[in-house]
Amino acid sequence: MIRLLLRRLLELVPTVLVIVVASFALVRLAPGSPFSSEKEIPAEIRQKLEAKYGFDKPLPEQFVRYLGNLLKGDLGLSTKYPQRTVNEIIANGFPVSLTLAAVALLWSLLVGITAGIIGAIRQNTVWDYTAMTAALVGISVPSFVLGPLLVLVVSLRLHMLPPAGWGDWHHVILPGLTLGTIYAGSIARLMRGGMLDVVRSDFIRTARAKGVAEWTIVWRHMFPTAILPVVSYLGPAIASMLTGSVVVEKIFNVPGIGPYFVDAAFNRDYFLVMGIVLLYAFFLLLLNLVVDVLYGFLDPRVDVS
Amino acid sequence: MHKTTFQSYVVFVLTFITVLATGCQQQSSPYFGTVKPRHGPKEIWINNSSEPEWLDPGRCSDSTGGEIIWNTFEGLVQAHPATLKPLPAIATHWDISDDGRVYRFYLRPSFWSDGHPLTADDFVFALRRLVDPQTGSKYASNGFIFKKGLAISRGEAAVNSLGVRALDSRTLEIELVDPLPYFLNFLSFYSFMPIPQHLFQNLQERGIDQDLWTRPEHVVCNGAFQMTDWQFRQHMTFEKNMKYWDADSVKLDRVRVAMVESSTTAMNMYVAGEFDWPGGSTSLPAEFMDHLESYKDFHRHPYLGVYFYWINTTKPPLDDPLVRRALSLAIDRDSLVKHVTRGGQIGSSDLVPDGLAGYEGLYLPVYDPAEARRLLAEAGYPTGQDLPEVTLSFNTSEGHKQVAEAIQAMWQQELGITVELENQEWKVFLANAEQMNFQISRMGWIGDYADPYTFLELLTSDCGNNHSNWSSKTYDALLEQANQHNDPEERLKILRKAEAFALAEQPLIPLYVYTRTQLIKPYVQGIWGNHQDRHPWKYMWIDESFEPGEENIESVNTPRKAIQVHK
Repeated sequence: MIRLLLRRLLELVPTVLVIVVASFALVRLAPGSPFSSEKEIPAEIRQKLEAKYGFDKPLPEQFVRYLGNLLKGDLGLSTKYPQRTVNEIIANGFPVSLTLAAVALLWSLLVGITAGIIGAIRQNTVWDYTAMTAALVGISVPSFVLGPLLVLVVSLRLHMLPPAGWGDWHHVILPGLTLGTIYAGSIARLMRGGMLDVVRSDFIRTARAKGVAEWTIVWRHMFPTAILPVVSYLGPAIASMLTGSVVVEKIFNVPGIGPYFVDAAFNRDYFLVMGIVLLYAFFLLLLNLVVDVLYGFLDPRVDVS
Repeated sequence: MHKTTFQSYVVFVLTFITVLATGCQQQSSPYFGTVKPRHGPKEIWINNSSEPEWLDPGRCSDSTGGEIIWNTFEGLVQAHPATLKPLPAIATHWDISDDGRVYRFYLRPSFWSDGHPLTADDFVFALRRLVDPQTGSKYASNGFIFKKGLAISRGEAAVNSLGVRALDSRTLEIELVDPLPYFLNFLSFYSFMPIPQHLFQNLQERGIDQDLWTRPEHVVCNGAFQMTDWQFRQHMTFEKNMKYWDADSVKLDRVRVAMVESSTTAMNMYVAGEFDWPGGSTSLPAEFMDHLESYKDFHRHPYLGVYFYWINTTKPPLDDPLVRRALSLAIDRDSLVKHVTRGGQIGSSDLVPDGLAGYEGLYLPVYDPAEARRLLAEAGYPTGQDLPEVTLSFNTSEGHKQVAEAIQAMWQQELGITVELENQEWKVFLANAEQMNFQISRMGWIGDYADPYTFLELLTSDCGNNHSNWSSKTYDALLEQANQHNDPEERLKILRKAEAFALAEQPLIPLYVYTRTQLIKPYVQGIWGNHQDRHPWKYMWIDESFEPGEENIESVNTPRKAIQVHK
């Protein structure tokens, strides 16, 4: 297992390198400069600014310098926030995005798994229809609709939670629910499907014949098998919660790193774009690896090595 | 599902929605949101829209940074909170030479927030640093009004040759290139604030990066407030600066400034009482304007900004002034501001807003389709259909898109011209503007100071912001002549002549003058609407006696209780 992990981790190195080269090339190919603005900046001043960030050097030299700094863990300086390093910006924002994703994940698992199980064990009843309608609504309603709706009802009418901001535990609830709901819908459907697949299996029938209690059958026998599709979905889902929270972070003014993903590209904040792309890429690769390993633990038929 | 089960299911869902909707019924209130402060009487919660790039007066170039600098630093003069006329600040009085080029300022005894005395040398240090190319200030051009400012920024003169001198610790002499009548007004701009030279030396001795001097753990300031906390992209906290020379007039002890970018989110936070004022730089969502109009805490005032379209005058068919004028006259500006922008903007064909520093507007016609068709026919395109293709570029924004689409429809309807719209990402848009790679391009210009020159300078031949490729020696000479003039009234007449001359050639098409829309809690006092959207916190206060029944605030221009403005 350890050898497998080491091999998979080593495989990450060339992938990350390709991502560095591709993102560096793409971000530099984009027209415009970090220092272009509505109001003209005198040429001499612009040269000084470019020199400060090393943008006056030939591109290959800039790339080698960037790679050298990257190996030292230095992601460079932001041009949009000149008093902050990219490392500092990520260190500030990433824990916030991580917290938001964790709440969204908890919510989606809690609601999704519960709804999926209820739907499956009460198939074709009002419980099933309600759970699956809610799942469909969860999947279909985009976060830019659900978020403002929650703000309108929960914050502005019922005055239960703040409409936006960050700092206390109550700030995380609405963005967490908004972000998690879409995944809860998918998880509910996957869970229900997984349960229905397994409900007619021989070993379940045997367990029922032996007189095993219904809840024991559900939790001990059906659940571990039925959860597998959800587990394989969770890897990309968590990565997506981390990287796809741009809209939710904007609506609720959450100081995570989601909005940078778009804004830094718009601002041609070269080092910040690169830093965030690398971070996201690394997490996506890592989560896929975690899911692969977890799969081996949950399903004895899968040989991870 | 059985029919009865299904029916009861539908009834349940409908009941749930009805209950929810009933809960959402808005109670009738003359105010948009809460009317009781959620904090103590000596505090205010405001928004500053986004994380500022710099809080360093010498490097700042955005309004969000400016808002903080104006309240934490104070220059030689300050702008009156309502009229924006220059008032004494760190300088108690001044002398002006007969030729209007040399100003001698006499400084009051005052201190930095760390107790260090503020001297004329701090101003010299700040202004030299502004134009020094080593600083890399995007607003270095503001310092080109000082003698040798331009040469220093180009590396052609020594930094200490700048026309700013400390005659003694409390006397500062400033030598200008031209006798600018708007100099005192401009001098309250954030680029001209003093900088604590002693702090820079201190940081250098301690081996700390001097670029970080505005961080709360280091910053030393001389304004009404000082920063005590800065949570990146979340909020800043400011406390009253007890060393400020006019601290007795400052009514608030604490100001909490959030950085909420989305105007809708900021508005929601206002409704919930998390903001007392969503801030001067936060615009309200256009789609809410009609709804907000009826609330007593909604305010609107003109703003020193003009929205216009640049025309690349070298690209046919727009190289013909007749075509350009026809395009301008075919735009129904009143309809544009009433139905499209909806923020109370003022439709205008003039480049300089009427009444600016005593300037009399040209009042060019805002809509004359018959004359537009006549001009187009005179240019050789009687039906408009044979006019070569024209492209209108704008940067990605729903508002710009709506304006462009409305104008596209007006030109089609009035002149029969087909115009292609090109939506461009911001930096691509800027790169194309710099390279003159467009035919018609959207632009907005916010005046840095209250004088017509801030707009008219745009059309001078050597102005880097002139994106029309239009240049005229006559126009340049008129502006030069105006700037040399000592008689303000005569000067304004010359400027008016210059504007009329330029707009007869129509190198740009002015569309409307901006307005600012504000939501201000009824218990907040001391905020005035002014055309530069400057709202010093030092005059603000919380009216504890306010009750929702009191409904006598008509406008931000008429606060209920007068404040003492030091003269």
